[in-house]
Amino acid sequence: MDYVLRTNHLTKRYGGKTVVNNLHMNIRQGDIYGFLGQNGAGKTTTLRMIMGLIQPTAGEIELFGESLFGRRARAMERIGAIIEYPGFYLNLSAADNLEIHRRLMGMGNKEYIEEVLSIVGLLDARNQKVKHYSLGMKQRLGIARALLHHPELLVLDEPTNGLDPAGIKEIRQLFLDLARQRGITFIISSHLLSEVEQLATRVGIIHHGTLMEEINYDDLQRKTRHYLEIKVDDDKKAAYLLEQKLGLSDYRIAGPGILHLYGSLDQSASVNLALTSHGVGVKEIRLSGDSLDYFLKVTGGVPLG
Amino acid sequence: MVNVIYTELLKLKSTKIPWLVLLGAIPANLVALFAFLPKIAPDGTPAGIDIQDMFYRQGMVLVMIAPSIFALFTAYIISREYQERTINQLFSYPVSRARILSAKLAVVFILIVMTTVLSCIAVLAASLVKLLQGSINFDIIWLGLKMNVWVCLLSFGTVPVAAAVTLIAKNVIPAAVLGVFATIVTVIGEIGHGQGGILFPWLTPYWPVRHLAQDIADLADPNPYAVPALIILSATFVLSMAFSLIYYVRSDVHSGS
Ligand SMILES: Nc1ncnc2c1ncn2[C@@H]1O[C@H](COP(=O)(O)OP(=O)(O)OP(=O)(O)O)[C@@H](O)[C@H]1O
Ligand SMILES: [Mg+2]
Repeated sequence: MDYVLRTNHLTKRYGGKTVVNNLHMNIRQGDIYGFLGQNGAGKTTTLRMIMGLIQPTAGEIELFGESLFGRRARAMERIGAIIEYPGFYLNLSAADNLEIHRRLMGMGNKEYIEEVLSIVGLLDARNQKVKHYSLGMKQRLGIARALLHHPELLVLDEPTNGLDPAGIKEIRQLFLDLARQRGITFIISSHLLSEVEQLATRVGIIHHGTLMEEINYDDLQRKTRHYLEIKVDDDKKAAYLLEQKLGLSDYRIAGPGILHLYGSLDQSASVNLALTSHGVGVKEIRLSGDSLDYFLKVTGGVPLG
Repeated sequence: MVNVIYTELLKLKSTKIPWLVLLGAIPANLVALFAFLPKIAPDGTPAGIDIQDMFYRQGMVLVMIAPSIFALFTAYIISREYQERTINQLFSYPVSRARILSAKLAVVFILIVMTTVLSCIAVLAASLVKLLQGSINFDIIWLGLKMNVWVCLLSFGTVPVAAAVTLIAKNVIPAAVLGVFATIVTVIGEIGHGQGGILFPWLTPYWPVRHLAQDIADLADPNPYAVPALIILSATFVLSMAFSLIYYVRSDVHSGS
């Protein structure tokens, strides 16, 4: 298995406060890794350590299979990043800003500047000074800059900040295309599960500096599926009835007297009828389980899985 | 390294830095032109333009203004990356931080040279006219040029001090205050004409200016304080440069938060 990024015991403390706690992240080649956490969870701090902007208090970072220590420069050529906020020289045009980037990345070809500007839809605004750009335009320019030197890994800290819904959709599609066509690996931080769940192949959830869980897309889908929660007095009998009378087999017994029924979300009435008419006492049927619930459960401090 | 310096120069496009260069250069030209005011020689006849006197005036004024202007160059070039939140990106390049800081200081040196060259325009124009008239020889001009080269080099000695205070504060204010303070001390020092003044690092560039004027003032002796002044300036340079480099390389970057 090829890992693009791994962290080992990665820890950052400010004063006595542990902001990132013993993080073990594993990101494979081709992953779109959704790095999820509430405000102040430690996402940006982790990404800063990965980019070498701040020194870890403890632990290590491995990029492209090599320890970052002493080899930072070589790794940086292969990474595009937006950390916290897409900063630009406001007195310069978009094209000049990218020219600075091109030179500092040691790239020969000037044509890529126009190419990435057209990818993010800023070609017409390329000679405008960045000080006249909106936040959404800066965000796009940040993405263009991160792409300019053909990176293998994109580290993006809340990249859809400031974009309108149409822009978010468009950028999400762009990321998917880049992942598919160029095989770029992504780390995308966000505080919204809904933002990364349509994109991510893998999700890491960080809470108060601790990585609560790393989960693959399929497992995430399973865990974030909606279901009917049915509370009954006899779960065995209820299960039997679901299968035999209603032909529903996509359920599980979640606890004593609790069934989770997947898929047939609109059948609560017929389920209720079938169960009660065969003598099973139904205490409650409700729709539950969505991505937000799941996220809250994980960040509520209860490790899942 | 050339590439990094180039990007640092490009960053100054459409900023106020060119105006700051002019602000540093114009007063020296004006004061040098005062040499054109009618003067009477000791024997009562009108005296001509004295190129050496013009260089002296130019150097004196440049050295007075230099601490403020040069500190502002340094402070702006370093602090803007924090102010404009570009520092995260800047430190994500395959270029070491030591190299980035060196490139920034190299650009400060280029600006110092530009300011100095522009501050000489009046005296150089006058020199050229006189040279073509055959009323002076090149030795005088050479003396003046040498003085300006020394001023550039010695002025650069205190630039890392401005860099160090800017790195700590991440804005221009402390360097600006330091610059104005140094300018005030420099003005007082120059008015006082004491030879020991050059021991103050920001006043050390006054040494070549005074040296130029020594034959005017009939002070043939070299300044006895020259060597200690150079030692003090070198130590200032080395220590503040070492501090700045270590601080820049080691510091955690939080800007943008
Ligand atoms: N320089 C610092 N000194 C002290 N504490 C800090 C520093 N930088 C960050 N922190 C603390 O570390 C914690 C994590 O911050 P971080 O910026 O990594 O969160 P985040 O997950 O990116 O949040 P957000 O979604 O708001 O961007 C916060 O509680 C913050 O107060
Ligand atoms: Mg953040």
